[in-house]
Amino acid sequence: MPHGTDASDAVREEARLADEIQDGANGGTPEEAPGSYTGPRAYEAPPPDEHDDPEFITRTRFLTNVALVSGGVLTAAILVPVIGFAVAPTVQSEKFRWVDIGPLSTFPSGQTTSLAVSGPDPEADRRIFLRNRDGMIIPIWNRCAHLGCPVAYSAGGDNYVCPCHGGAYNSLGLVVAGPPPRPLDRLAVRIVRGKTVVSESPTSASPGAPTRHAKPTDHILLGRPYSIDAQQQVFKLHPPGEPVTGILANLYPFT
Amino acid sequence: MTVKRIGRQNPAVQGTEELVDYVDERTGLNFGLRWFLFRNVPRGTSWFQTLGFTAMALFGLQAITGIILAMYYKPDPSVAHQSIVNITDHVTWGWLVRGMHKWGASAMIVVVFLHMGRVFFFGSYKYPRELTWLTGATLLILTMFMGLTGYLLVWDQRAYWATVVATNITSTAPIIGPYIGDILRGGPEFGPDTLSRFYSIHMLLIPIGIATFIVIHLYLITKLGIAEPPWSKRRLAAERAEEEERRRAAHERAPRGRIAVPPSEPGVPAPVRMEQAE
Repeated sequence: MPHGTDASDAVREEARLADEIQDGANGGTPEEAPGSYTGPRAYEAPPPDEHDDPEFITRTRFLTNVALVSGGVLTAAILVPVIGFAVAPTVQSEKFRWVDIGPLSTFPSGQTTSLAVSGPDPEADRRIFLRNRDGMIIPIWNRCAHLGCPVAYSAGGDNYVCPCHGGAYNSLGLVVAGPPPRPLDRLAVRIVRGKTVVSESPTSASPGAPTRHAKPTDHILLGRPYSIDAQQQVFKLHPPGEPVTGILANLYPFT
Repeated sequence: MTVKRIGRQNPAVQGTEELVDYVDERTGLNFGLRWFLFRNVPRGTSWFQTLGFTAMALFGLQAITGIILAMYYKPDPSVAHQSIVNITDHVTWGWLVRGMHKWGASAMIVVVFLHMGRVFFFGSYKYPRELTWLTGATLLILTMFMGLTGYLLVWDQRAYWATVVATNITSTAPIIGPYIGDILRGGPEFGPDTLSRFYSIHMLLIPIGIATFIVIHLYLITKLGIAEPPWSKRRLAAERAEEEERRRAAHERAPRGRIAVPPSEPGVPAPVRMEQAE
């Protein structure tokens, strides 16, 4: 069996090493044992060779190291730009800018209007639900907070339902059922008259942009999206699937 | 190996033999092929041991049909699905080749899992075949990744949203998950770049990886041989002898009247006393 063989091999190896050490202590040659012949010899011991020193850098070792280092440098010179090219552009966050979506009169009070907005991809079906109720405007993104499927707004129930895994949200986009870890994301919004900002959100005062002092001709601008928690506190935009509060939010320290 | 022949030979046979000798003399291919193909297998080797080859054959099928499909497929979001429809409905035997690729993919996943189960339940991953198991596990992951990237290329609603969900699941892995998701998608949102990215990964990056790991896997199998099945008498006897030896060593190590040392981990050699080894 391998165990016994291994052990006896190890013992034999140890014995051989011990013999060698003993030989070394005696000077390596049996002729130099004390009391032996001291006359002229036919055989001269060779002068010590520096190549036998394992620390000595021979030409071969030097060139081997040069080949290894230059090979590594060349490989890195190819791989670093290639991998950077494949990876670096992808980890930058999406750019958002303010977009004018028309006058306030387009979005009647007491209704939620569905609005297609441009995304990175025509297939993406990116929509904004502009909720104009309770004297304020809240633009809600249709990207489900669970895994990113497009939620559908049902005017009858005044709620949002995701077709993929049954996540359901109420009128404000807060979770009422299903797996989503946080409410639907929202967009920054401004109501402007010319260059004057009449009202905007998110602010600490209200979760949406108040329409109290706005005229029907004032325009609505949509801006950067942001995430919220169940109390409608504002957080940086998170990808789907990530909670913004609670212990699990610590799993994503860089987003 | 040249053999002196007496009498006339069939010139075709003679020519073939000379060609084989020519190549063998310069490459040693004869020995290599014999080493690879004509190995002893343990008694009790059965149909169970053919699952690995089946998985490899399915990979070959996927490679061949995939190369042909790539001649007609266009990885552009605006025409990708149309080119799929074109392959299925208009190209001669396109429905057949696409069907082979599609069902072959499902079959490959099934067979790879059966193969893994066989190796697991037969205990074939044990010493000295741990690295064969590890390369096989890598192949399993690469195969699953092949399934993910290939699923998107159909570019219909189901493919699109299923892959959105899959990449978002990837993003929910702790700490580095969001970055992996971004790298997969080619950005923070699913976009046109994702399709060409998945196409490149599906038909260049992973096939090269799978082929490389298949070569390593096969080399290890050829070098180490097929493991004996768990019901092999020889293997049972060997395992029993090992167990015996371990018990004996444990017994010698334990002072009399005390509780014996608990069994050592499997795979860790039992300690042997020096005087006993001598």
